[in-house]
Formats: sequence, C-alpha cells, structure tokens
Amino acid sequence: MVPHNPTLAVYGIRHHGPGSARAVQRALATNPPDIVLIEGPPEADAIMWLAGEPDMQPPVTLLGYAPEHPERAVFFPFASFSPEWVALTWACGHQVPARFIDLALTHTLAPNPNGDESAARSLGFDRPIDPIGELASAAGYDDTERWWEDVVELRDGTSPFAAISSAMATLRAAYEPTGVPIDPVEQRREAQMRVGIRRAVADGFERIAVVCGAWHVPALQNALEPSGIQTVKADAALLRGMPKTEAAITWVPWSHRRLSSALGYGAGVSAPGWYHHLFIHPGSDTTARWFTDAARLLRNADYSASPADVVEATRLAHSLASLRGRPQPGLGEVNDAAKAVLGDGTDRPMQLIRNELVVGTLIGRVPAHTPMVPLARDLVIQQRRCRLKIQSVAHELELDLRKSTDLLRSRLLHRLSTIGVYWGRVVEGRRSAGTFRETWQMQWEPGLELKLIASSALGTTIYAAASESLTQAAQSAPTLETLTDLIELCLLADLPDALPGAVQLLAQRSTVNYDVVSLMDALPALARTVRYGDVRGTDADSLQSVIRSMVIRVSAGLVSACNALDDTAAAGLVNRLSATMSALSLLADPGSALLFHAAIGELVEHPGVHGLLQGRATRLLTDNGVLPTAQAELRFSRALSVGATPVEGANFVEGFLAGAGTILVHDLELLGLIDRWLATLDADTFTSVLPLLRRTFAVFETAERRQIGERIRHGMPDDGSQELSELDPDRVAAALQTVAALLGLSS
Amino acid sequence: MSSTAKTAPNSDVLRPHAEVEFAHELAALRAFDTRPKPAQWQLSPHAVVIYLMGDTLPDGTVITPKYIGPRALIEVAVATLVTDRALLLLGLPGTAKTWVSEHLAAAISGDSTLLVQGTAGTAEEAIRYGWNYARLLAEGPSAAALVPSPVQRAMQQGSIVRIEELTRMPSDVQDALITVLSEKLLPIPELASQVQARPGFNLIATANNRDRGVNELSSALRRRFNTVVLPTPATAEEEVRIVTQRVAALARSLALPPVTSPADEIQRVVAVFRELRAGQSEDGRIKFKTPSGTMSTAEAISVMVQSMAMAAHLGDGTLRFSDLLAGIEATVVKDPVHDAVVWREYLDSLSIR
Repeated sequence: MVPHNPTLAVYGIRHHGPGSARAVQRALATNPPDIVLIEGPPEADAIMWLAGEPDMQPPVTLLGYAPEHPERAVFFPFASFSPEWVALTWACGHQVPARFIDLALTHTLAPNPNGDESAARSLGFDRPIDPIGELASAAGYDDTERWWEDVVELRDGTSPFAAISSAMATLRAAYEPTGVPIDPVEQRREAQMRVGIRRAVADGFERIAVVCGAWHVPALQNALEPSGIQTVKADAALLRGMPKTEAAITWVPWSHRRLSSALGYGAGVSAPGWYHHLFIHPGSDTTARWFTDAARLLRNADYSASPADVVEATRLAHSLASLRGRPQPGLGEVNDAAKAVLGDGTDRPMQLIRNELVVGTLIGRVPAHTPMVPLARDLVIQQRRCRLKIQSVAHELELDLRKSTDLLRSRLLHRLSTIGVYWGRVVEGRRSAGTFRETWQMQWEPGLELKLIASSALGTTIYAAASESLTQAAQSAPTLETLTDLIELCLLADLPDALPGAVQLLAQRSTVNYDVVSLMDALPALARTVRYGDVRGTDADSLQSVIRSMVIRVSAGLVSACNALDDTAAAGLVNRLSATMSALSLLADPGSALLFHAAIGELVEHPGVHGLLQGRATRLLTDNGVLPTAQAELRFSRALSVGATPVEGANFVEGFLAGAGTILVHDLELLGLIDRWLATLDADTFTSVLPLLRRTFAVFETAERRQIGERIRHGMPDDGSQELSELDPDRVAAALQTVAALLGLSS
Repeated sequence: MSSTAKTAPNSDVLRPHAEVEFAHELAALRAFDTRPKPAQWQLSPHAVVIYLMGDTLPDGTVITPKYIGPRALIEVAVATLVTDRALLLLGLPGTAKTWVSEHLAAAISGDSTLLVQGTAGTAEEAIRYGWNYARLLAEGPSAAALVPSPVQRAMQQGSIVRIEELTRMPSDVQDALITVLSEKLLPIPELASQVQARPGFNLIATANNRDRGVNELSSALRRRFNTVVLPTPATAEEEVRIVTQRVAALARSLALPPVTSPADEIQRVVAVFRELRAGQSEDGRIKFKTPSGTMSTAEAISVMVQSMAMAAHLGDGTLRFSDLLAGIEATVVKDPVHDAVVWREYLDSLSIR
C-alpha cells in the first residue's frame, strides 16, 4: 500500500439550514474532496445513487424500517436546502463516492434493551440539551432559530465552519466534563462515525469531507489522530454487542408540509418554503423576490397587491430589520411587513402566505424503480393474517362479520379504501353496519400498488395510514354529512385512533353550523352508528353528547327553518322531520327526544309553517304518544276549517297521512273530518285541491284505498270498537306475551 | 389606556397632552438616544419603540409602558413612519388606537396636537385649508387670508398629523388626502402656489374595524397606508388589568358613590366577554357562536361602570353578578333573533360547567 497523507475536513451544519447548505456547497467547490461522508445510516449507501436521478425531486426522505415490524421506522427527510442533500447531489454529480457513516439501522431499529421502543426517531434532532440555544442566549437572543439565521444563514462569503467548530468544542467541554457524550447512543454514533472516517482512509481516499450536525464536529475532527477516549480500540469496544434486527431502507416522496414541524416527525423546520426561497435566491434581492411571489399569490386569490405594494413591503421589511438590529430581513420582518402592507389588516391573506409560501406546497418525487415501501410490506403481512389472496380476476366475497377472520377481512378492506386502495367495494349498500353480512366486489389492479406507495407518507402500517388519511379527510370534509359518513367509516374500519378527532371536529362544525337542514341530514347516520356500531365505551359517550348538542340546535332552529317555505322546500324538509324522529327513537335518549318533541309541537302551533310540515309534525307527535288522538283530531279539524285555505288543508292532510292510509281505515273520526271537509268545498276550490289530494291518496296501497272507499260508501259505522269486542281475549293475551318477549319486556 | 403615570404637576386642565404629561420621559430618552434620527424626528425609531413599550434607562428613569401588547406591532408602526407610507391603525373600540397614535406623534414630533377628528360632517377644509373670509373679502386671495388645516401645518413643520376615525369621513374628503400622501404636496390653486411637505411629515390615521363599511377607503387611498391591526388583549390577566384601571378611573371622574363589589366580578365579566368574543371557552373545550355586536374591552368597561352606577344610585350599593349579567345581555343581544340564540346557548353552557 502506498503511504499517503489524507486530509480531513469536517463541516458542522444545522440540519435543514439553507445557510449551512450554501456554505457546504462553497466548501465542496473550493476544496473538492475525493469522498463525501454524511451523517446517516449506511444501509442507504446502496440506494443513494438514486439521488442523482433526474426523477428524484426533493423533498424526499430516506425511510428506514424493520420489515417484520413496519411500525418501527425512522425518517431522514431531505429538502433542496438540506446540507446533506447538497453534499449528496454534489457527490452524485461529480462521480465522487459518498458514504453514510452513522450507526446502521440494523442497530438503531432493534428493540432497545431498556424497553424504550420509541418509533420514528429522527437522528440528530433529539438531543436532550439544546447546544445552539445556549450559544444564542449567550449572544443575547431569545430565539434560537433567529440567532442561527443571523450568524450563519444570513451571512455571506466567509466559511463559518472554523467558528462553528470552536464554538461547539467550548460548548461540549461545558456540557460533558468527562469528554464523553452523556447519552450512550450518542457515544456509539460518534464512535461509528469515527470508524467510518478511518475506513475511508484505509480505503485509500486522500481528501475526505464529512458533513454532520454541528454538535458532532469536536468528536470527529480528530478521528485520524485519536487520543483519550476516542482511540480505535475504545471505539471498537463501544460498538461491540449492539442489538440487531433486520432493516430495510428506501426513498419516499416527502413534502414541505410534512417537513414543517407543525406536522409530525419533528424535523424542526417551521418554514421550509422560506428556507427554500433563501436557498435558491441568495442574492441581495431575496426579500424583493419573496414579496413578488407573495403579491402574485394574493393576486391569484383575488386580493389586490400592486407592484407599489411590493416596493413598500420590501422597504418596510428592511427598515424593520434595521430597527431590530438585524443584518437582513428574516422571516419575522418579512411576515410583519407583509401583514402591514399586503395583509389589508386581515388574517386571510396572511394565512394564504403562510400555507402557500412560508410552509409551501412543494411535494417531492422518487424514481419509479425505488425499492418497495413498508405499507406494501404491511399489506402482505395483513393478507397473510386474514387469509386473503390477491387476485386480478373480479370476484365476490361474502363476509359474515360474526366470524373473527371475516371481521378482520372487512376491517382490512375498509381501511384500504380509506387510503384510496380500492381492492374491494361493498356492493350491498354502504349502510350495512347494522347487519352482520357484507358482500364485497373484489379485484386487484396493478395501479393499486402505486396508491400504496403514494400513501406511504401517511404512515408505515395500513392501520396508521388509514387513521391519518381519515383524520385529514375529516379536517377537509366539505359538509357535515361527509363528516358523519367518515365517522361511520371510522367504525367500520375500526380506527379508534382517528375517531376522537373526527368526533371533536363534528362537535365543532355542528356548533358553528346554522343550517338546521344539514344538521338533520347528519343525524340519522350518527344515530345508526351509536345504535348498531361497535363503538367502544368512551367513544360512544362522546358521540352521544355530540348528537345531543346537535338535537338541541335542531330543536332551537326548527321553527325558523320551517317558516315561510315554498312547496318544494317543504317537501324536502318533511322527510327529514320523519328521519330525524326515527333517528331519535333509535337513540333511546329521552332528553333529546323530549326536546325535539317540544320543537315539533311548536311547529304545529306556529302560523306560517307550511301545511305539509304541520301535518307531518302532528302525525309524528301522535304516533309517539305525545299528542293524544283527541288533540290530533282537534288540529286536524282546525287545519281543515274555514279559516285555513283549502290548499293548506290539503297539504296538511298529505303531511299527516305520510304516504299510508291505514290510519284512515281505523280512525273513523279522522275519515269523517276529511269527508265533511271535502263536502263543504265549492266546485272551484275542489278543483284546486284535487291534484294535491290525488297525490296523497295515489301512494296508498290498493287495499287501503279500497277499504277507505268501502267505509265511505257504507256510511260511517258509529262504533269502531265493535271489531275489538270480537277478539278472543285468550288468544290476544298469548300474542301479546310473544310480542312482549320480542321487545324484551317480559318479566 | 394603560398609563400609570401621575398627572403633570402644574396642570389645571382635565387631560394634558402626552408630550406634556410625559415630558420627563421624553427628555430622558433624548439624553440617552445615540442612534441616528430621521430628519425632524425628536427621537430615533429605536427610542420611540422604547417610549411606547416601556423600559428602564441607564440613569434609572422608568419609562412607563404606554401600550401593553405585542412589541412587533409597535415596531412595524414606527418602521412604517420611517418610510414614506402613512400608518393606519385598525382595531375594535378600546384597543388603544388613539392612545398609540397620540404617543407616537408626541415621541416623534414632540407635538400631538395636529389632529383632525373624522366625522360625517368633516369638510375638506379640515384637510386642506380654509379662508379667513373677512380678509378674503377685504384683500382678495392672499397667503395671509389662508387658514391652514392641521394637515397643512404638519407639512410645513415636517411633523406627524393624526386623523381620528378616518372611515367616518365622507369619501370625497378622504380622497383629498391622496395628493398629500402620494405627492407630498398641497396645491393652492387660488394663489397659484402649493405647500410642499418638509421631511418628517407623515400621517397616522385610526379607524374602527367594525366601521370599515361606513366609508370604506378607496383603493387609491388604501394603497398609501400600511395597516397595523391592534388586537384585543391577549390574556385574561392583561384584560382584567386594563378593565380594572379604566373602571377605577371612570368611577372617579363620574364621582360614583363607593360600591361594594367582590374582587372577582371584573374577572368574571372579562371571562364572559373573552369567551363570547373568541367563540369558545377559555379552556378551549366548548365552542360558541359569536354575537353580532362588538364584544371589546371597551364594552366590558361600560358594562362594569353602568352596573356600578345602577348599584350605587338605584340599588343597595352592592354589585351582584346577576345585575352584571343583565348588563352583559344588553350588550350581547343586538340582533333579537340571532343574538338571542347565541346568548341562550352561552347561558346553557354556563349551567353545564
């Protein structure tokens, strides 16, 4: 082996810092290495060449997972402005080898012997102490991000790496008096990285560049002249005997929204869109360009934003920066200026800017030949559990939900449809939660695998992805009804984690919803869910209370919603009245029922309510025993009296009869009322109400119509109780007993 | 609205100007102000921010906070006045718009008296210039016959002029400001001359959020303004502090007989107002509809004062929460249909909690 004199350059960076990324870019260009070593899992070495593919567009993430336990996964997200990504693409573009030198996933994904199984750890972000925060507060800043921005990200020209390295050395000396990281995992990681550096030297590389978190610089920069506790021997000892598990890694598309710390996987980037902007527009016109983009965004959303506004906003941002003593406007200045100049004094434009620009909507892409994602693997595992085979031929699948395997299958299929993987579709109506049978039309299409990959950002297991997808869908549900459908789906697919959020959303949305009609539409599905669904204890309670509050709102607004309606609107409402009533009877919640009964009662008395509705309301009250029959007849006769117009009367009759004439067959008093009313009408009025009456009677069963006709032809028998007296008390008692047993009333 | 300073010693006026009342603070700030000052400014922008937000100077002079709220808003306001855009302060009643604008003018120009009050009857003369008609008839149009408006004087002096309730002015009067703000000049066609603004001239306007529809600014005029929205107090403690101070001050000036009032009544009133304003309970568990009327701090203050007056003059001298509730209901229920539902729902939720 030819003796050589390798040089080592360690670039300490802030993960996802555009300034760091630029500094790395400059350092690599001025001092090109012959190998790049990056903080990250070595398993990624095999697929890192994909980073150079034209189809690969950041933001993307390396996703490491244990194939047998897809829920144990780690994400290493990269944006265009991540220093690691800059180094990686530089290496790919210059045909320079690159290696990941952190601990292998084999070890980091293995169950921790201490029992700590925290999934989704993002390496490098979860240090127990905040070193950079210490430096920032030493410099008099209360905001760490802002300090780093001022000192590193917003400066230009000179390389910051020497200063960072000495600052970190001082800091670590203060924190680690023994010179050893406090966290044992940290110790091993740094030892592993030193081993990686030495291996590169052993492989004959001359100019080695290391890109790692700033914190690690002091531990790595002397790797070639080991001393103290960092010797080759000590490192080897540290790395011996770590737990192991099978690990796999792949690239997955990522998005700026996911990068932002607000949404899971705390990668610590609150403003990816802003950083992206800083990275691609480093010049003196950064701020002006930002406001140009903002103005264009606002104009597209129909806000006024003139070029003069852009000029003013830019000037204001700069004068704010100088007032606050900052070298250049940062995100704070830019936001304040946008709010004062472009914001028009309202929040809406600022929300738009925050969502579209500050966080950003950029979504990454990975090449088609990227290895398989954990979601697809999880599907394979689940299939095995439910004994379901993938078949590309369409076939039907009958499920009996009382059998545990079939129940598992049903849940899996429902979960898959939640994330848009329609392997099967329910054919016998979606409302089958109450029954124990489900029929699925099954067919596997190749396109579904793509759907799985696309959904992999939602979670690593089908359960997690379905929960996440359902939560997102619930948040963007356009109507209350969609939301209640989602809640039903939530129960069908057995996603208890997504349920509380959806129920809470429902509670909020129904509170601010003034539309009684849409509230009524939402009720039946919810009532079914509570009655038949296999809701777990606590969830049923929360759903119950939501339903109760919805009933309160419906009851409060019912009269005004039913007031002054035309025929079409009344026809739309009348069935909703009945549906709501039957939903309430499913619930067995006497409080709600009482409220609604009272509201309906008000409806009956209120002038200006359409006859159809008044009729139906009277009927519902009678059927539920709230209104004695005598009272109902009183209402009936009032509706058909001279004071009311004949059309109103006919509407009342239609509403009251509700599409069935049985009541007329048995209640002769009512029949008599209608009969007498008809007889009083003059010819013109009769003609005008005839179509309405015809519509009412036409939907009756033929037998009913015939019976009513007979009754009228034979005159009114004056005693309907005659029929009852012919009944045999013994036989009736036997029948009653059976009915009572069916209803669960027998003692 | 949040001043705690004592009244200036020599004053026999009801309410001295800010620059008189806080003269010692301004002098102390000037003594320590080493940063560059824009032309005609009495203090550097940095010192103006300190004057508004409060601090303790190296010699121990305490600068009382004039505004309790986000510092960033005051910074934006001051930075706006450095640029040549005018400043528009928006906010609900009782969010200290006028107070802030007065103190900004006092700190920047040392003079908060250049003021135009916007009303439905404000005429163009209030913004441009008027005439001394006796002179006009005797001597014909001349500079001596001209009566300058506060805006014209501010342009000539290079100082800050304030316009209160800008959106209450008729639109044509508002638009007289366009030339002033964009060209920085005021033409006087009768004399074939003009007034050009000196450096340091700028304008602070205030307007009520809820009244924006009265005489909405034309887009040409709006473009000349940067907008700062002064929010309602962020925390309950902050608001209770403000209400307590103001109620005490108002009770003094109305010479109300003393009223026994449990200490937490103000807190309860503030809580009700905050919840109805935000549309949700303080703990975030329950959501409400919001009433159509304003539920600002100023309303909370007036409910408190009114109930105290009732208790003192008509009642037994004890303030009770039930009396307060009646006062609050009168504030909440402005629209008998919508607001009644809101109020009933809110009361229901109170009884559940």
